[in-house]
Amino acid sequence: MAEQAYTVASDSETTGEDKPTSVYPELAIGIDIGTSQCSIALWNGSEVQLLKNSRNQKMMRSYVTFRDEIPSGGVSAHLSHEDEMLSGSAVFNMKRLIGRADTDPVVHLSKTLPFLVQTLNIGVRPFIAALVNNVWRSTTPEEVLAVFLVELRAMAELQLKRVVRNVVLTIPVSFSRFQLTRIERACAMAGLHVLRLMPEPTSVALLYAQQQQQLIHDNMGSGSEKLALIFNMGAGYCDVCVTATAGGVSQIKALSGTVVGGEDILQNVMRHLLPNLDNLLSSRGLGEIKSMVLLRIATQDAIHRLSSQDGVRVEVDLKNGLNIYRILTRAEFEEINQEVFGKCENLVRQCMNDAKVHVGDISDVILVGGCSYIPKIRSLVLGLCNKEEPYLGMNPLEAAVCGAALEGAVASGVNDSLGALDLLTIQATPLSLGIRADGSNFVPIIHRNTTMPARKELIFTTAHENQTEALIAVYEGEGMRVEENHLLGYFKLVGIPPAPKGSPEISICMDIDASNVLRVFAGMLMPGVGRPVHPFLEVKMPTVDDGHGWCTEALMKMYGSTLELHTSQKKMP
Amino acid sequence: MQKRNLWVSATKILSRRLRSTSRFSTNLDPKLQSTKVISCSFHHAGESRVSKSSYGGNIFLANYRKNFCSLDENSGRCWNCGVVAVSKPFLSCDSCKSVQPVHASVDYFQIFGLEKAFEIEDTNLEKTYKDWQKKLHPDLVHMKSEKEKEFAAEQSSRVIDAYSTLRKPLSRAIYLLGLEGIHVDEERTVSDPELLAEILDIREAVDEASDSQSLKQIQGQVQEKLEIWSKSFESAFNKKKFEDAVTSIQRMTYYYRINDEIVKKL
Repeated sequence: MAEQAYTVASDSETTGEDKPTSVYPELAIGIDIGTSQCSIALWNGSEVQLLKNSRNQKMMRSYVTFRDEIPSGGVSAHLSHEDEMLSGSAVFNMKRLIGRADTDPVVHLSKTLPFLVQTLNIGVRPFIAALVNNVWRSTTPEEVLAVFLVELRAMAELQLKRVVRNVVLTIPVSFSRFQLTRIERACAMAGLHVLRLMPEPTSVALLYAQQQQQLIHDNMGSGSEKLALIFNMGAGYCDVCVTATAGGVSQIKALSGTVVGGEDILQNVMRHLLPNLDNLLSSRGLGEIKSMVLLRIATQDAIHRLSSQDGVRVEVDLKNGLNIYRILTRAEFEEINQEVFGKCENLVRQCMNDAKVHVGDISDVILVGGCSYIPKIRSLVLGLCNKEEPYLGMNPLEAAVCGAALEGAVASGVNDSLGALDLLTIQATPLSLGIRADGSNFVPIIHRNTTMPARKELIFTTAHENQTEALIAVYEGEGMRVEENHLLGYFKLVGIPPAPKGSPEISICMDIDASNVLRVFAGMLMPGVGRPVHPFLEVKMPTVDDGHGWCTEALMKMYGSTLELHTSQKKMP
Repeated sequence: MQKRNLWVSATKILSRRLRSTSRFSTNLDPKLQSTKVISCSFHHAGESRVSKSSYGGNIFLANYRKNFCSLDENSGRCWNCGVVAVSKPFLSCDSCKSVQPVHASVDYFQIFGLEKAFEIEDTNLEKTYKDWQKKLHPDLVHMKSEKEKEFAAEQSSRVIDAYSTLRKPLSRAIYLLGLEGIHVDEERTVSDPELLAEILDIREAVDEASDSQSLKQIQGQVQEKLEIWSKSFESAFNKKKFEDAVTSIQRMTYYYRINDEIVKKL
């Protein structure tokens, strides 16, 4: 059912016939789907307003409960979160799982979740299931997100008394383009049209730009350019961004991000409290699920309390004869999460390096996301930026969705007479894009943090004598080797006239247009001829589907190095 | 050298293939094409961050993306409301705010209202850049016609290229020579043994440097050299001694690369 709806929506979108024809375009709403919580906001004509659900919550739990026939999400569900989690019927943390293959370590970490996550470790989509009437019923991350988005949409439509179709969604910096297609798919399944996918910290940057503009309007700001470092860490992801703001325009100088967040901290503490956690996981009976959930809840609570206390007492009866009675100190907590904090530190350093900014030039440090409440994280980021206090003008949990709502208004062409929407974000590519060459090396063509829209080209050559075909495998990421990066797609360039290796000129060109669509152009130029040998190929990426891990394997097995490319470069000393 | 010619013609052929009525591809200022060529050789040298202009290329893609045609390039009037252009350069109409099509004759210096010279007052570069983006960026014409969206995409990316080219002395120098019709082949290795020996020495020192203080010291030396060669470029360029200017650029390239390496290590 849902699949069919998706196809129709997608087709009409590409033809553009379904665009709103009214003079007043539909105002796009902003949605922040977090790993653990989500929120929805829009421009109400004078300011950004967060919508509340029937229980008067602005922050809603991102989970879906499968019960009987109709699954229901955390937007409208009436049972308490904890009770539902106990039953194994609730599926959550989908943002950590969407678009990931079953070889991904993040998927393996998700096995401590109280629903079924099964892996075959061959590079296909993991098997996810919820327990319904004592049967494990399969689902997918896309489906869970779609159920959730439908509820958000229904809630918004009820309150706004109009159809809601256009949305701006926030996404983690480290999401691959393949993962973005999964998010778009979930939206399409929910009948939503994605106007923009914004990396979370850039959405915060937009809000910051607007606030700086307001200050100038109120004659309090200087109007000169301000550099801000944005650190955003939620349950699933940690992102950093350096933005330069002046006159309502924010230029994203650099982005960095990785999949590390509150969930990792939670798991570290869970394993610390119960060292044989994995044994408990292996059987996955109802009793074990219950124990796991009890431990999860107690741990979460302990971590929250540790933000304001130096030590907390953890007392929990996990049933099955397992008990935990102990004190957890903040020092202990920081010790066991050293690796997580180290990753955060690296992200901040990398981002400042890429942005080529000096610590002294940073005007504001903005800390947002649930993990920004953790004292160690605050001191760490502030310390790296040489600041005493963070920027105080934002609610750390609402900043991203507010930025998305602003972007929704700007992108919908809404004007504000007071100039509050006189804003623009100039985005940069969060990850490098390139192809496989020189063996299994990843050769970037568009480097990360390139201002968008962007177009870059690079010349390659053949690796073998009289090689007539070449495999173009497109990857995204920062690893030196292709295995460390995300495969986006592949195609074959044929009809290379036989020539000594290293002499043909093969041009690979990558283009990211204003709507963030990536196209790869490939063609063959013969030296001395001065024209393409054959028509160029144009491929819109990504082309891979869920079995992308398998694709890589199959490609290697079939072709090995026979269709390999080399970079064509004369190195300087 | 051959490679460069290849590139130009390939781009031309592609544009023709994709848009037979293309006026841009045939009218394309040959000087500007050569700047595009530099971008190719640059990236292909595997060197990273210096984001280069790929102007000719962008035109190719813009042509490809849209089949708009018959732009009245030289009318000096807004395509939308017909008002005579007042502002210079005419990238966006003051009267109806419409984004105008790209005019190949407007160079990067004109976009930023600067004299065509190596030394520029770069204090306002970022501000002008942002001001332009506020008028031209494709995000802001989301609800306008497809035609204007295309203009916005082109103009905006051209302004990005202009900004990143002018912001850095090396790319600015190369672009300046490009405007004079001089192509700088950065691939060509310098044969001056003295320079090569010096570069090797500095590299070695960088490799051996154990702390940031000694790295900074080397960086200071490199930057001194950069200043000297920048000055020498400027005076050669002003005297239209283009060959000397090219030599200066090649030296600058070496020193900038070393500087990048030092920054990476720091």
